Amino acid sequence: MKDCARYLPLLGSRPGELEAAERAALEGHLAACAACQGRLADLAALQGMLGEALAREAARRDFTDFADQVMARVERRRAGALGAFFRRHRALAVGTALAPTLVAAALIVYLELRGAAAPGIEVVSEQYAPMVIETDQGPLILIGDGDDSEGT
Amino acid sequence: MVILPSKLNFPAARRVFPMDLDDQGLVTRARAGDAEAFRSLVVRYQRKVYAVALGIVRDPDLAWDVAQETFVRVHRHLGEFKGESAFSTWVFRIASHLAIDSVRRERTSAKDDLEEAGEAALAEGGEGILATALGTNPQESALRRELLDKIGEALDRLPEIHRTILVLREVEGLSYEELAERLDISKGTVMSRLFHARKKMQALLRRYAGLEARGEAGEGEP
Repeated sequence: MKDCARYLPLLGSRPGELEAAERAALEGHLAACAACQGRLADLAALQGMLGEALAREAARRDFTDFADQVMARVERRRAGALGAFFRRHRALAVGTALAPTLVAAALIVYLELRGAAAPGIEVVSEQYAPMVIETDQGPLILIGDGDDSEGT
Repeated sequence: MVILPSKLNFPAARRVFPMDLDDQGLVTRARAGDAEAFRSLVVRYQRKVYAVALGIVRDPDLAWDVAQETFVRVHRHLGEFKGESAFSTWVFRIASHLAIDSVRRERTSAKDDLEEAGEAALAEGGEGILATALGTNPQESALRRELLDKIGEALDRLPEIHRTILVLREVEGLSYEELAERLDISKGTVMSRLFHARKKMQALLRRYAGLEARGEAGEGEP
């Protein structure tokens, strides 16, 4: 029995898990110990039963909605992470929100200082005031080119 | 009257990946943003992940939550999965970590006292009785079917450290070295803890099966 205490923790090991000397000593003990042979037989008889029992318990549960719930959790967590990021970086959030306004303001100031027109509009005459005609499709702006004979 | 397909109240059609498409193929697609590929991985492993969690936490609702959280973590860290181990190994590792963490949060000192009090009653002999009763073909034994229903009850009565090491060893199939690393204990402690866990489990199963011990003292019990 005293020897058994030494070998009990070695029972149930798999090939390669024990040192060669441990393995040899265990085999020597098993050859002479009926109690440890019984313990080893119990281990072998119960092999795989825990996994099978848990699989049976799992099989009793309805998994129909499991994957949907996981996907919803993933989405919630992703949205939450984005919100948390902006909460942690308030300056960045404010900057991001104001960015379009700031860019537009900077462009206006820049164009004012340069005295240039906004991009996309070609000014063909600066000598005459433009004439605005209201049409069905909206206002039509006519800009004179300085040549009275050809009109505008 | 013509009913347009869009008016029918059918769930949205889902792509179903063939079962023979290996995990790595699905992981690659999921990593590229394919939600259906990720869903297929969830469906493939949901029951086993739940079983591992249930074995450790012994609470169906908590196990359900742990299993779901496992897949959320898997999704979040999919880019870090290098494929050095099997995908399933990686998933079960995450599941068992979460299960151990959650059961340790839930654990109360009162419950531990109860578990320790129960240990003395379980320290009894009877080695070999189960093997004999299960016979030469344990797979077809009626006793085996009966015991399968009792293993859950036996797990409920084991301390968390013994449940955990049994599930990691018997269900996840971890080696002594992997157990030592996972549980942050020495290989010697792994072997000793496994022995005591098995001994208690066997004593409970003998009792459930009405196979009384022959009165041998449980040697080596701490």
